[in-house]
Amino acid sequence: MSGHEFHPLVKQLLDGDITRADLPAELRAEGEEALHLLAGVERTAVSMPAVTWRVMAALERRRRRFLPWLLAPALAIAAALVIWLWPGTPPPSASLVTVRFVLVAPEARQVSLAGTFNQWDPQATPLVRAGATGVWTATVTLPAGQHQYVFVVDGARWVPDPGAPAVDDGFGRRNSVLTL
Amino acid sequence: MIAFVAIPLTLLSMQQGAGSPVAQRLAGRVSPQIAALVEELGTGASARGLPIDPLIQKAIEGSAKGIAPERIATALRLVAMQLDTAAAALRDGGTQLASDTLAIAAGEFAITAGLSGSDITALARTGADAAALTVGLRVAGTLAALGVPPAEDIGLVSVALRSGEPASSLLLLPATVQSEIGRGATPAQAAAGLARAAAAQARHGPPPGRGGGNPHPPHPPHP
Amino acid sequence: MRSESQAADGEIVRAVLAGDRERYAQLVERYRDRYARYAARMLGSVDAAEDAVQDAFVRAYDQLAQCKDPDKFVGWFFLILRNRCFAERRRNRTSASLEAANEVAAVDRADGGAESAERRRALQLALLELTPDQREVFVLKHVEGLSYSEIAERLSTSVPSLKMRMHRAYDKLRYELRDHT
Repeated sequence: MSGHEFHPLVKQLLDGDITRADLPAELRAEGEEALHLLAGVERTAVSMPAVTWRVMAALERRRRRFLPWLLAPALAIAAALVIWLWPGTPPPSASLVTVRFVLVAPEARQVSLAGTFNQWDPQATPLVRAGATGVWTATVTLPAGQHQYVFVVDGARWVPDPGAPAVDDGFGRRNSVLTL
Repeated sequence: MIAFVAIPLTLLSMQQGAGSPVAQRLAGRVSPQIAALVEELGTGASARGLPIDPLIQKAIEGSAKGIAPERIATALRLVAMQLDTAAAALRDGGTQLASDTLAIAAGEFAITAGLSGSDITALARTGADAAALTVGLRVAGTLAALGVPPAEDIGLVSVALRSGEPASSLLLLPATVQSEIGRGATPAQAAAGLARAAAAQARHGPPPGRGGGNPHPPHPPHP
Repeated sequence: MRSESQAADGEIVRAVLAGDRERYAQLVERYRDRYARYAARMLGSVDAAEDAVQDAFVRAYDQLAQCKDPDKFVGWFFLILRNRCFAERRRNRTSASLEAANEVAAVDRADGGAESAERRRALQLALLELTPDQREVFVLKHVEGLSYSEIAERLSTSVPSLKMRMHRAYDKLRYELRDHT
């Protein structure tokens, strides 16, 4: 590293403690070099509007008892699943359960559910967007039992529910699991 | 807009009678090639007393997802194999269980989720009846899908089955484990903790004044 | 979310602790960008910074009851974000280079042209070669524009020790950028 160290006065220049004029003549060039280095600093402000809903969605997911999703993907798709048991349910093998699926996806233009309960048809069960918040929901009545599903975003991206347990689908991807 | 998907229970039933409408369910949803494979695998499965619904489901799923036929075929053969493994595991746990197609399908799901034949046998040996065991297998598979390792998974579900917990209570286990994970427990710790609590409860009855409520004292903020 | 006229941070913190969870969003909205640039320069990419800021807000929520002075939420939050930035494992150098290159190039299309874009890219990459402590003092002073005494107060350290870190940073940067002058 020797030979690469700035002269202490040049460092003071960088610190803003002295000015160019204070440098002796033999250090002027080094001073210019140092200031030139500093000029490469990226000072543009950075804005992250998505952080607000991502944080609140992460907290909401955990409140509804989900795995924390600490490093959300760039598109930050988050989901929450609420299971409401229909009052007065008869024994499980014959019961129906109302389930509300929720996906937070503000950049999506359309979201639907595809799963074992609708023959994996991405057009059978669209989600509805609630205003400007980017929260998509669908309420579905399902028989008690074992179901697998994914969300289909913009008709093209098949995305498992990040808040739900997941299993291998046998095709190299993952399905979300719903056990009622 | 609310979409109610009311599926006739017969379609979802894993029972198969003579002349089950396999072709009907597959019509328009899978290629003829895949349909033929499902018929072939289904006939064999049927003859061995296995449910065929998981095969039909997987074929429809693969086609809807646009998967290449060879890959669908591989997945179908895997499902058939897993059904066999599940049935054999149930047989090892109690002969009457192996004839229950819902239990076999549940076992197949558990294997998909990462459990083994011996895990299934262990649950079968708890002495639970077919209905309870079916729920137990589904719950065990769901816990595995949450990351609970097999030992803690089977440990928890066995305790619950042995103490005769109703299905509704078993079905709450995954959400409870997820909640514990959300509070910082590992999946193994969460399941083991619940198993200990369940075992203690089975021995001594519920602690006074709690009635099965939240075992953790609330503290603000409550995430 | 209820609309409120500018409530003080302390008031919002106390409300959240009392159970009004939704109001936490007001704090997030208020401060999400304040340290966004710091996180971006510390981690070398806006994407990574967004994750870090999100994580930090979630962690701050979890530990809100431990915020000793609710009226000084932002300083306390900064320390949580700082820990999160320091904890970020050094990412694979190639991916960090690509991200830094893409981002900085995009920003500079409007001004200065290719040469200054290249210079900024090179400096961001060189910054990633510093230790987190060195990088931090550089970013706080030369990006965020804080004085040494402001930085010392925020990090609970002394000006001389900060200057020592900074001066090592200058030398390392000079070394890293030796082919760019």
